[in-house]
Amino acid sequence: MRCLSSAALVAALLAVGATACGGAASGSQDGLTTLTVLSAASLDRVFPEMATEFSKAHPGVTVRFSFAGTDALVAQIEQGSPGDIFAGASAKYGDQLFEERFVDRPRAFATNRLVVIVPPANPAGIASPEDLSKPGIKLVVGAETVPAGIYTRKVLANLDALYGPSYSQAVLANIVSDEDNVEGVLTKVRLGEADAGFVYLTDAEAVGGAVRAVQLPSEAQAVATYPIAVIRSSAHRAAARRFESFVLGPIGRRLLADAGFGPPAAA
Amino acid sequence: MRGPAGRIDRWVAFFFGLAVAALLAFILLPVVAIFARVPPGTLVAQLHSRVALDALEVSLRASLSALAVILLFGTPAAYALATRPRRHSATLTTILELPLVLPPPVAGLGLLMAFGREGLLGGPLRAVGVTITFTQIAVVMALVFVSLPFFVRQAIASFQSVDPQLIAASRILGAGQARTFFRVALPLARPGLSAGAALALARSLGEFGATLMFAGSLPGSTQTLPVAVFTELARDLDAALAIAALLVAISAGLFVGFKLLLREPHPSWLDSSSSTSAIV
Repeated sequence: MRCLSSAALVAALLAVGATACGGAASGSQDGLTTLTVLSAASLDRVFPEMATEFSKAHPGVTVRFSFAGTDALVAQIEQGSPGDIFAGASAKYGDQLFEERFVDRPRAFATNRLVVIVPPANPAGIASPEDLSKPGIKLVVGAETVPAGIYTRKVLANLDALYGPSYSQAVLANIVSDEDNVEGVLTKVRLGEADAGFVYLTDAEAVGGAVRAVQLPSEAQAVATYPIAVIRSSAHRAAARRFESFVLGPIGRRLLADAGFGPPAAA
Repeated sequence: MRGPAGRIDRWVAFFFGLAVAALLAFILLPVVAIFARVPPGTLVAQLHSRVALDALEVSLRASLSALAVILLFGTPAAYALATRPRRHSATLTTILELPLVLPPPVAGLGLLMAFGREGLLGGPLRAVGVTITFTQIAVVMALVFVSLPFFVRQAIASFQSVDPQLIAASRILGAGQARTFFRVALPLARPGLSAGAALALARSLGEFGATLMFAGSLPGSTQTLPVAVFTELARDLDAALAIAALLVAISAGLFVGFKLLLREPHPSWLDSSSSTSAIV
């Protein structure tokens, strides 16, 4: 009897789980469509505005977001999370999902640049990226596993051409924490715990005077390209394609530019 | 023979059994799933990675240091609180238990606001040339903060359950405070203390949010096993699962081992505990 009862229970739990999943996946009721956009964390300020404008132009379609690190979004899509659109912070991940046939062909919709941020009081007196190699600086960056961290290391390598071959080595030795997302970098610099950090320009602009930005030489920049793509398993592909076109269209461009994003490179 | 009451009893017994089975399945399924996803060969291979080994060393060192601090301060504090009248100690005990109800990121933020460079004690600490954030000391502090209540609660209850007449007898027979504590109260409270220590150690090994907030994450320095699982998830699911499996094995192993080893001496347990410690 024991075996039987536990088996029945597991079956019941699975049934409940399946119902719950079914409920979450169905997005349309009474002629209303709800689109779910799995978006990179760095889009969390501009995309809600985008949704408001989109719903004005397309009554009956509401857009909701699930923000996370791009790598986490990719894992969610690969594990079959329900969603209609993927909007990531790295072209590499868009291509990966396309090759794995989880999404339609991705299109670049924005670019972002890195910037060095320091606390308003600038305790370590950092005036240029060259100062980051001074010994004893407490530097916080994204981990090597997240796009921001990958771009940071690329920029540092590029800066070797400007500041000498041992520059990036010295800067990497000053890292006191590899954060799992840009928000972690921002928090630690904002609180004055770290002397400097690398974040996206849009993140630095969004917090206004809470941090001070130190620009990077443009020749050393590694430009992050943001891909958008319709998820193949979406139940609302037509509406999802309309949202994609909206982001790529004039209103989308303007909102992105206002938030500090650059236009996608001409293909 | 059996009347309606007997039938009801059988149904009640059935539902009690069902509740146990349901909870066992609910807890065991995710744990088993971690091991089921990755083939054992891959698991072992992943464990030789630099990230896993570094995180293992950081986690073990920090958790054992935290446990030492907790035992050193927590045991006398619990004894002091347990032997005072309850109405005096209740508030103090509740304060020590506070981390139980704080979300770990809140605990981490609190530690930053208190001990960070710009925190309440930041100025004085800087004056003596001490920075805590991003160091292994910060990891240990986060672990102590979060796991202390697991030990202290259990320790207070254990000391309270020691027969006061035995303490009184020890004092009457001429033993001082210290001798009474070490020779009477401590041995009698030992089973409860060890259970508390095991819980605190397991909680330390699993700590994530407060550590990340207060100590950051640097491989080989402050990146613990749970933080490594989270970071590796971004790169490689198999690697993350391997570290997760390692974490489950170590935490469960230490938890069970500690409970057995520090238990009240008992012949039948002694044998199994020595074999467990050999495995751990």
